[in-house]
Amino acid sequence: MKIVAVTACPTGIAHTYMAAEQLEKTAKKLGHSIRVETQGAMGIENALSAREIREAGAVILAADIAVQGSERFAALKKVEVSVAEAIKRPEAVFARLEK
Amino acid sequence: MTAIAFAFPLATGLHARPASLLQEACLRFDAVVVFRNGRSRRRADAGSVLELVGSATVAGDPCRLEISGPQEKEAAQALRAFLRHVLPRADDAAPAAAVVASGSEWLPPSFHEGSSRLFRGRALAPGLGRGRVVRLNRTRALPARFAAGRKDPQLELRLFQEALAKAREEWMRLAALPGSAVGAAILKAQLAILSDPKFHGTIGHLITAWKLPAGAAITRAAAALATELQRSPSAYLRERAGDIREIAARLGEIVYGGAADAALPALSGATILLAGHLSPAALLALDRRRLRGLALGEVGFTAHVAILARSLGIPAVALPPAALAGIQAGEEAIVDGRRGLVVAAPGAALKRYYRLEQEAAARRELPGATGKRPAAQTRDNRRIELAANVGSAAELEPAWRSGAGAIGLFRSEMLFLDREAPPGEDEQYAVYRQAALSARGRTVIIRTLDVGGDKRLPFLRLPVEDNPFLGVRAVRFYANHEELVRTQLRAILRAAANGRCGPLKVMVPMVTGVDEVALVRRLLAEAAAELRRRRVPHARRLELGIMVETPAAALAIDLLAPAADFFSIGSNDLLQYVLAVDRGNAALACLYDPLHPAFLRLLQHAALQARKAKRWLGICGEMAGNREYQPLLVGLGFDELSMVPAMIPVARERLAQLDSGECRALLRRALRCADAAGVAALLREFNGRGSNGSPRVIAAQLVRLDSASRTPGEAIKELCDMLELDNRIADASVLEEAVWKREETFATDLGLGFALPHARSSAVRVASIAFLRPARPMRWSVPGKPVVRGILLIVVPEKGGEEHLRLIARLSRQLMHEDFRAALLKARAKPAVLAALEGCLRSH
Repeated sequence: MKIVAVTACPTGIAHTYMAAEQLEKTAKKLGHSIRVETQGAMGIENALSAREIREAGAVILAADIAVQGSERFAALKKVEVSVAEAIKRPEAVFARLEK
Repeated sequence: MTAIAFAFPLATGLHARPASLLQEACLRFDAVVVFRNGRSRRRADAGSVLELVGSATVAGDPCRLEISGPQEKEAAQALRAFLRHVLPRADDAAPAAAVVASGSEWLPPSFHEGSSRLFRGRALAPGLGRGRVVRLNRTRALPARFAAGRKDPQLELRLFQEALAKAREEWMRLAALPGSAVGAAILKAQLAILSDPKFHGTIGHLITAWKLPAGAAITRAAAALATELQRSPSAYLRERAGDIREIAARLGEIVYGGAADAALPALSGATILLAGHLSPAALLALDRRRLRGLALGEVGFTAHVAILARSLGIPAVALPPAALAGIQAGEEAIVDGRRGLVVAAPGAALKRYYRLEQEAAARRELPGATGKRPAAQTRDNRRIELAANVGSAAELEPAWRSGAGAIGLFRSEMLFLDREAPPGEDEQYAVYRQAALSARGRTVIIRTLDVGGDKRLPFLRLPVEDNPFLGVRAVRFYANHEELVRTQLRAILRAAANGRCGPLKVMVPMVTGVDEVALVRRLLAEAAAELRRRRVPHARRLELGIMVETPAAALAIDLLAPAADFFSIGSNDLLQYVLAVDRGNAALACLYDPLHPAFLRLLQHAALQARKAKRWLGICGEMAGNREYQPLLVGLGFDELSMVPAMIPVARERLAQLDSGECRALLRRALRCADAAGVAALLREFNGRGSNGSPRVIAAQLVRLDSASRTPGEAIKELCDMLELDNRIADASVLEEAVWKREETFATDLGLGFALPHARSSAVRVASIAFLRPARPMRWSVPGKPVVRGILLIVVPEKGGEEHLRLIARLSRQLMHEDFRAALLKARAKPAVLAALEGCLRSH
């Protein structure tokens, strides 16, 4: 499945990127393709394009703060988790996509 | 009659110590000396310490000594010397107020564990002390029975006089004890009060004329004098009221029986002394080998007992009455003179926490930690002095602490601003002397008075100009105010007198030609000649440099070199004169760019000329502290970069990455750029390049394996202390608070054997990581099995540091990979851990 994701945490120094890495790693393992946008201390990086969002089958929002531009994903199947969950139990996060 | 006018030089005002010195000086002659304060309009008999102290004299007050009598001439001569040499140094023995600001109310979690009872107060003397509590129940008020009278004034008078003699004896004995020069000075000052004619005269008068019993007379006289002192505008003088009360209390005790020493407990073992009030005499009489800390009642920071505690290195805290009452004799207590806190019955966790703090403090005291640091150098070992720009004496210590190797610019004009009359020689001397002493062998460059332009002085009466930046400013008004400049030069020459202290140098602002330097050289020679005539110790030689801030000076360094010992580029003004851009004009801000090739070419010309003339060249403008520009400055070959102290640790890290050859190549390319934008692009490319090394966010001293820390509280504390010790953060406790506030939003233990505490804080100077591997796994936030085996603390400054954030993001991502985690957790020795971290920060 094509998946898009956004990670964001309060300080945006470490967990945002750890979660992004974990989601990318796990997606690869499970045979999904994924694009992760990080909203951290350096601002928005790897911003998702409209086309990527349009083509995606689902979105994962791993965030402990409000995600900027969440209205972009209104049409998508959405899984919302905390950053810690994405880091600690990434496979469970993906499992929720299947439900 | 002879009158001597002077401005009062001591920042602490005319308190008991200088007053007793002045009294001593006056009493040596058969002359009547009257002290007058032109501001407070008080008049005092200079033979009475109390009247002198009562004159409410504070720093800068216009004062006069009026001398008459048979030895008028001799006394006047001696007093002139006294005012010049002795009085300004009367406070030298007193240690400078140490930084014991308690700051934030926040306390680390270790403080809330277990049964510890916390009592907040005000810090009086820094340090940590632990011991059993001994309570001392002496009050400063005289017991009521003192007032109960016997009716024979003659007997009362005799009792009082005997007590006075006995107290004097006691004070002299204590003052003669070895071990504390500060204590002796304080006791001598109190002794002067005991011997003061106004003090015992008033008491005697109350006994004989008012028929008061001795106790009541002492109480009333003391109260009257204390009230007078409390009206003083100086906080320091107001607290001297305590001295009077202490003396009165002791006198009363003697009159009515009860020896002070008998009331003092003999200390056995480490002791925390709890006392509502403690006199310096009592503190000196205690067994200081066993006294580990003081918890006192409402005592001010500049009370003598607090000054004494600081000088003796005894931690002390002032507590409110309720807190004092809440601590029992015999229980264990910790006095925390940094946080202004007393902990009764500290729990095991808190004791371990304090042990860590003590270890960190001990490491900070090691030579090289807070004192001199090795010179900054480039990757190819070219030494470059990193110096600090400061504007006042108060900024010196923070500057040295940030790792400055010198003071590259001490702006003396701050001393002159906001006042009606210029500071006198002695007042300036006191400030420059403080700078020299604080330097401990390092250089301090004092810029001579730089006003005019945007800085105006009421007493200079410079003309109002249409174009002040091109007008009579800095060295240009020296010719019309020679004495003002000579006075400053005399003060500097005197402050530079002693070889033990850091060498002082002077630097002249706004020079355009040799005749201006010749003028200052002449004034310097005249200043030295006058000091010689007055037989005042002063430096034989003083290096004289030129602040290069006009294009004329920058273009004529070869012509100026014979007259100057060194040069320092003042880039802020030089840039505005080169580009003809008012640096305060917001509309032109985009033109005010130090990367303009014309400006760089001028700098290169100046640098080449200075090198040819074998003259040292520094730079002390904003440009020097900008890490983006530093490769160009290294390429230009500056000997010194002088900047705001906070930027020094950053610059040190940056220089260590730079290769001077690569920087010279960069400069050559920059000089050929068509405009500032071209240079900026070149710099961006250079600064972003991997080849000049990733910024060092990690270092060997930031990795510790087999740590004894058992709890998150201890681990975070240990990591913060490591960062502070390496000068990467300003204050470990500020950072600790930021890390914990982050941790409280949600714990950073990620279930992978790692905790990743982190913070963004203004206390951070250089983005850094620090790694701790506890000897035993610890529990982090969730109850259950202890699983955290590695703790990686990440800290970034409040502003900027994009490049570091990127590295840290990369590191965070790497932590998600099993092999990287294993490398950090399983490596046997520190170098392997460090290599793994560095490898991760380098790889793309």
